[in-house]
Amino acid sequence: MSSEPALMTLTEVATAIAEKKLSSHEVTRSCLHRIAQWQPHLNAFMAIESEPALKAAADADAELAKGNIKGPLHGVPLAHKDMYYDAGHVSTCGSLIRRDFVATSTSTALQRLKDAGAVRLGTLQMAEFAYGPTGHNAHYGPVHNPWKLGYITGGSSSGSGSAVAARLTFAALGSDTGGSIRMPAHFCGVTGLKVTWGRVSRAGAMPLSQSLDTVGPLAQTAEDCALLLGLMAGPDPEDPTASTAPVQDYLAATRASLKGLNIGVPKSFYVDDLDADVAKALDATIATLKTEGADVVQVELPDQRQLSSASQIVLAVEAAAFHKRWLIERPQDYSPQVLMRLQNALAVSGVTYLEAMRWRGAALAAHIAATSGVDAVIAPVSPIPAPTVAESDVGAGPGAEAVIQRLTRFTRPINYLGLPSLAFPTGFSASGLPIAMQLIGRSFDEATVLTIGAAFQRATDFHAKVPTLP
Amino acid sequence: MTKPTPQNVSAMAEAAGVPVDKETATRIANSIGPALEGFAPIAGTLPFDLEPASYVVAQHLKVAR
Repeated sequence: MSSEPALMTLTEVATAIAEKKLSSHEVTRSCLHRIAQWQPHLNAFMAIESEPALKAAADADAELAKGNIKGPLHGVPLAHKDMYYDAGHVSTCGSLIRRDFVATSTSTALQRLKDAGAVRLGTLQMAEFAYGPTGHNAHYGPVHNPWKLGYITGGSSSGSGSAVAARLTFAALGSDTGGSIRMPAHFCGVTGLKVTWGRVSRAGAMPLSQSLDTVGPLAQTAEDCALLLGLMAGPDPEDPTASTAPVQDYLAATRASLKGLNIGVPKSFYVDDLDADVAKALDATIATLKTEGADVVQVELPDQRQLSSASQIVLAVEAAAFHKRWLIERPQDYSPQVLMRLQNALAVSGVTYLEAMRWRGAALAAHIAATSGVDAVIAPVSPIPAPTVAESDVGAGPGAEAVIQRLTRFTRPINYLGLPSLAFPTGFSASGLPIAMQLIGRSFDEATVLTIGAAFQRATDFHAKVPTLP
Repeated sequence: MTKPTPQNVSAMAEAAGVPVDKETATRIANSIGPALEGFAPIAGTLPFDLEPASYVVAQHLKVAR
């Protein structure tokens, strides 16, 4: 057991608390100690709730002493992206407009983690209204990458990626509409799971694009993500789009072998124009997966650029529809970049939007046909490691959309198809920045990508590396 | 629909109830234009009976290996 509890994985610390080897209070103090050290450098937290967290931890310890255990997360302190409504608490959604918004209900995903015993540590920074892929926030400042200050975390779950990487929280909810879990996982060197659209209820999570939004975890390991998904997945009367598809045993999946699994490597698009370090990491990852028993074959995917374009159209229109009232009444309260992106939808007709929605089923069927011989597809999350905060601070300038589209090139198509995708650390660039790959699975088969990710993490230690305090 | 002109954008924004100035219309046209061009090969080609709910059906397609 680590001498610093905050450095443990989620599953390790949950077990240690349940077995009374550690108290929730000392674990929470350990996290708060690291937060105090790192927050001035990272800006990862939106709100730090030290006293309420310590009180809740003490209460959890008292209950445990009486033999009462709430669930698998009993007494585990967690913080989440500041867009999950928690009744009586402020959810800024990273915005000026909602700076003082107090939620009157609690999001289903968050409630399920609370019901399992999690303790609230505070809230995490994010891109304004989850509409930005870099980690910049014009209202609350950029979040920094713990591996190298001055470099981006990726977004929109910027605080989630940064805080998990620096071991300030054992895990964090993010959301992924165009890559917002996978990119922070890639840039910050943590594991992030974008779930199948409909796998986890979106009720009480700030909406960006109802057809693309997904709720999912960032954590140290695939096993940690499996634990959280198992607690959150399943139908919800508050969200009719939450699927009734059977919930798999994700934790059991993380203990399975790769033998007999086929993994596809795209012949094009995801392997084109890669930074040399990313290309090297992809090759090394494939080699490890083969060593662990997987069969790796090439696959020819349908045109991903068309998927990406359709994804942009759906996202732009749905986001603008949510924001229309504020676009009319409070345009000055948006940052220039978010306002620009919301306004983009004004150039898309209703007919074009609905065509993009009508094509989605056919596009998914084509993907299924193209990948019928494999259990999952492996691809980079992004063609590059993290750029600097300064060079990616494009605001609403003429090149802004191009920068955004380049960063999200490998993630957007997967949101349009609504497939699950596990981003997991696979190496570091020559300059010491993390590099992740994504495993793209089949609809409602998160178990297979978790199996592959966990097997890779048993064979490597990239996920266990911890950045040092500057 | 391919890349709109700033004039197209101005008219659509007006109709949507969120009017924009000329500079903004030009910026929007340049910004979303590539997505509309990328989707152009699909637009106008979809079969009559295809509706958005076909996506949920595709999510549950059985996969043969």
